[in-house]
Amino acid sequence: MKEALRMRGVTKRFGEVTAADGLSISVEKGTILSLLGSSGCGKTTALRLIAGFETPDEGVIEIGGRTVYGPGICVPPEKRRAGMVFQDYALFPHLSVSGNTAFGLDKGPRRSGRVREMLSLAGLDGLGSRMPHELSGGQQQRLALARAIAPGPGVLLLDEPFSNLDARLRVQIREEVRDILRRSGTAAVFVTHDRDEAFYMGDLVSVMDRGRLKQTDTPYDIYHSPDSRFVAEFMGTADFIPCKLADTLAVTVIGSLPAGGMNPGSKEGLEILVRPDDIVLTPSASGQGVIESGIFQGSSYLYRILLDSGETVHSLASHSRVLGTGTRVLVGFDPHYAPVFFRNGSRVR
Amino acid sequence: MPHPAARLNTGKSPERPVRPTGPGFFLYAVSIATALLIILPLAYLVLRAAGADGAVTELLWRPRTWEILKRSLVLAFSVTFLSTLISLPLAWALERTDLPFKRMWAVLTTVPIVIPSYVGGFVAVSALGPRGLLQQALEPLGVDRLPEIYGLSGAVMTLTLLRFPYMLIPVRASLANLDPSLEESSRSLGKGSLETFLKVILPQLRPAVAGGCLLTAMTALGDFGAVSLLRYETFTWAIYLEYQSVFDRTAAAALSLVLAALALGLLAMEGRTRAGASFYRMGHGKRPPLRPLNLGRWKVPALALFSLLALGSLLMPVFILLMWLVRGMAAGEHFPGLPAAMVNSLCISAAAAVIIMGAAFPIAYLSARSPGRLIYVLERVAYFGFALPGVVVALALVFFGIRFIGLLYQTHALLVAAYVILFLPVALGPLRAVLLQQSPRLEEAAYSLGRSQSYALTRVIIPLARPGILAGAALAFLVTMRELPATLILSPIGFRTLATSVWSASSEAFFARAAADSLVLIALSSVPMAILIIKERSRREV
Amino acid sequence: MPLKKTHITLLAIMIPVLSVLSVSCRNENNGVGEGEAEEVLTVYSGRSESLIGPIIEQFGQVSGIKTQVKYGSTAEIAATLMEEGEKTPADIFIAQDPGGLGAVEDMLAPLPDAILSQVGPGFKPPDGKWVGLSGRARTVIYNTDKLSEADLPDDIWGFTDPKWNGRLGWAPANASFQAMVTAMIKLWGEEKTAEWLSGIQANNPKTYPNNSSIVLAAGSGEIDAGFVNHYYLYRSIAEKGEDFPARNYHPRAGGPGAVILVAGAGILESSRNKDAGEKFIKFMLSPVAQQYFTGQTYEYPVTDGVVTNRLLFPVSGINAPVISMKDMVDLEGTVGLLRKENIIP
Repeated sequence: MKEALRMRGVTKRFGEVTAADGLSISVEKGTILSLLGSSGCGKTTALRLIAGFETPDEGVIEIGGRTVYGPGICVPPEKRRAGMVFQDYALFPHLSVSGNTAFGLDKGPRRSGRVREMLSLAGLDGLGSRMPHELSGGQQQRLALARAIAPGPGVLLLDEPFSNLDARLRVQIREEVRDILRRSGTAAVFVTHDRDEAFYMGDLVSVMDRGRLKQTDTPYDIYHSPDSRFVAEFMGTADFIPCKLADTLAVTVIGSLPAGGMNPGSKEGLEILVRPDDIVLTPSASGQGVIESGIFQGSSYLYRILLDSGETVHSLASHSRVLGTGTRVLVGFDPHYAPVFFRNGSRVR
Repeated sequence: MPHPAARLNTGKSPERPVRPTGPGFFLYAVSIATALLIILPLAYLVLRAAGADGAVTELLWRPRTWEILKRSLVLAFSVTFLSTLISLPLAWALERTDLPFKRMWAVLTTVPIVIPSYVGGFVAVSALGPRGLLQQALEPLGVDRLPEIYGLSGAVMTLTLLRFPYMLIPVRASLANLDPSLEESSRSLGKGSLETFLKVILPQLRPAVAGGCLLTAMTALGDFGAVSLLRYETFTWAIYLEYQSVFDRTAAAALSLVLAALALGLLAMEGRTRAGASFYRMGHGKRPPLRPLNLGRWKVPALALFSLLALGSLLMPVFILLMWLVRGMAAGEHFPGLPAAMVNSLCISAAAAVIIMGAAFPIAYLSARSPGRLIYVLERVAYFGFALPGVVVALALVFFGIRFIGLLYQTHALLVAAYVILFLPVALGPLRAVLLQQSPRLEEAAYSLGRSQSYALTRVIIPLARPGILAGAALAFLVTMRELPATLILSPIGFRTLATSVWSASSEAFFARAAADSLVLIALSSVPMAILIIKERSRREV
Repeated sequence: MPLKKTHITLLAIMIPVLSVLSVSCRNENNGVGEGEAEEVLTVYSGRSESLIGPIIEQFGQVSGIKTQVKYGSTAEIAATLMEEGEKTPADIFIAQDPGGLGAVEDMLAPLPDAILSQVGPGFKPPDGKWVGLSGRARTVIYNTDKLSEADLPDDIWGFTDPKWNGRLGWAPANASFQAMVTAMIKLWGEEKTAEWLSGIQANNPKTYPNNSSIVLAAGSGEIDAGFVNHYYLYRSIAEKGEDFPARNYHPRAGGPGAVILVAGAGILESSRNKDAGEKFIKFMLSPVAQQYFTGQTYEYPVTDGVVTNRLLFPVSGINAPVISMKDMVDLEGTVGLLRKENIIP
């Protein structure tokens, strides 16, 4: 089956800076890939390379099985069938909602029907004759989407589309947008710096750092099975506790766990990754740690604990029990926790 | 199987995608053709000056020559400075406040540019000269002498009042298209109106102001009519003298080349102001009209200021012209040929405005979107014609026209070509400023939707650039209406415009006739301006 | 709807463009046409339409020759002629002052004796390449409220006297003034001319761009006296009335201040209509035209047997110096002198 989008070894340099370093991406038809990374990591450049607004220095780009960039080939943006939703929407201020939506559609008997279909899909029924500046932020967002989907692009590129909306609206809108994308069956690449958004929108998540893809996996696997310390920390609060292997056990200051048949090679420098939800606290005078701070997060408390051995761990606890700063606690693993091993910042299996 | 990337690694970066067919290429072709046309006068000057002998070089190096060069520069900078000082608050008042009668002021502050320079000079002397109207009016009050109208101060004042619209029009167009969220965020940070204006709005207006300064300075450098009547000797006067007194085209060409070099200097200065800033909106597609600032107790002073300006730049000249007209009519003068001149003026100026806009657009667009070396040079070249005296451009076209395209000699086509050479920058400035304000994302959105460049141009870029296009076309129309030397030399025989009629009458001291033609000129120019401005306002108020 | 607006805009654009093009095509034939069946005489005139237009029209009617005239200033017309060179469509060149004709002398054809014999030696150059059509006397205009003729010096040398400080006006860039200075160099020599120039300079004269502004200034009292051509006064009187407080003074002792200049015409060597051209010039020298020049434009006739306008100071009363037109065309020397004295840039 032809993929909706395939990039192989795509590199782009701007002078000294390498914005894209050997990117290789695959997006299956009908799926959404989230490109996650902090600002400056090159994710917008990646989108623009796909769309054709930047030209790679090396590599191959294929959309819908057709090469749009490669040796001797460089298809201009308007012929790539790569729809784009810009961060600032770039709605045409002088055209109505219908006018914007119809922009990419050829004149013909089916055009108005398709426009209606798109407006319906985007929940903009009846607003066809309004002008963009008369719409709310969320409506503008959906119009940008409807406009991009209308011509039936091979892949849709979304550049941090929710960054202009407030938090509450963001949650609501992303549900709507994901819904629209699913129903239209369009493959999409969704760029964001927000982890929650990336997890919600993407069937697959790719973490990007300085032009390179660090890991591509399902949201669950990326969170629970990160390949590198960088990715681990990007996914959320992550603490690394040194551990030693003794026969089949991994021994740490928090406790011992079955190592699970792992062959770590050298036994030196091993660490395990623990997340706040992996750590359980019990107030105890003989505990091995002291609470440094506690942040109320509504449904839970996030505690930071300083272990006697010097490391810091975090623990997510129920909001019903409040532990004050300075409380000595016994730190233990959650019974469901399975150790994830690292050495020198890389995953060890 | 080797890694696919390794196979494709050629080690060097491929070229940018060139669009060999379609408007990309077309735009470049038109831009280059226009630039070549504008270079023609320079080629002519070099040809002519090549025959220079010792006398000419001696003329160039006389200390007096450098002295009048200095005087020209002083005039140019003074007029530019004053024009900027006047235009900025005016533009802001017209676009951002609740000033009453805005449309009227908008028209009144644009029309002065149509007044021919020598008419302006006559009027200035007539009104403010030692025995002028003002002195006569004040005489009963015991005022015997007025401050001297002749010399630098009079020349600066007259030229400023006549030509400040060169600055006002592009600044207004830019201001109209500015992103309101910038001003709003500035106010939310506690900055008052003045600070917002200076720190936020003004930097955004840089292209418009820089372009306006360039035009104003060049027009002051090249002016002949007003400065000669107000007796301020300038470099252009020296050039005219060569033609007039000695009939020495070689010397005139040599001096004109110096003027061209001056123009180059001005262009370089303006080019430096174009540090790579971005001027387009980065917000949403939202464009709610900014709530106009309430002037409150400043309303009356503002109105007074506008009135004073309109009085000095337009109403007083019109009044004096009317006076001459009435006096002449009372003495039984008649005005033959006026309707024909009117129709001719309208047609040729309208055609010229359209063609000038058509020639300006590719250069403005390419310059705003993909500024490369070539485009930069082309855009700079466009200003050369404006800096040269009209007589030089006309003679250049005579020289080349009669030798290479004899059939087109003394036809309207050649005259319009002269207008393009002379006035292209007038359209270029406001157009480029407005195009710079368009986010490139809009064009990219069009491409991402599968539309070609020509579609994006005609359906998105051009409609959104309308304020700039209209401003440029209006300016082009006005300045071609009043153009004189090229029209005299290149017109088909018997083709009279209002401007040539005015000159013809005034040079023979038939002031009533000159007044009649001038008044019709001004009235005719006001009407399309008024329509334009009214339509523009009502469209934006929706 | 966008569709309709686009059409209207297109129409609005096409109409002026088409009209321009169509007129262009129409005029093509007239512009650089070969000799067609109909005789067309092309005149380049440095004299303005208001002055010479009516008499040229009359020529057209009387002779049946279709005449088209290009009007402009002598300077611009001369420059245009020189740039056009041999391919010029012009048949006749009319100049306001001898200098203009001198500048294009190489392009003019010698006129036949039949024409040249009609005017006196003071009104044509020795090589017969052009002929004067009307006489223009240099004069001093003075404000009658402040001065009477008796107050004025015998010749213009007298104006270098310091008592005239701040009371004079001149137009040193004007062709007629420069023609007068050229005559002055011929009559008084370069040294005395330089002295006169610096003498006037020392009296801080007001500088004007042309003669008509000097006349206006004299009338308004801005200056007491100025150096102009004689006919401007009469036009001012015609426009403003008899009580216009300025009058002409022709220096009673003569000298360069009283020199009579001419506006003249010549036939282009490259012209294919020389016959028509000669008819034109003959007409301009005919009593009808000469009467027009004196009656309508207040100039002096150049042929005998024409009655000068009663309003004008009779030419016999002007103590005009005799000077050859050949000497009147050397402008380089004049301009050089004016430049040396820093009078013109």
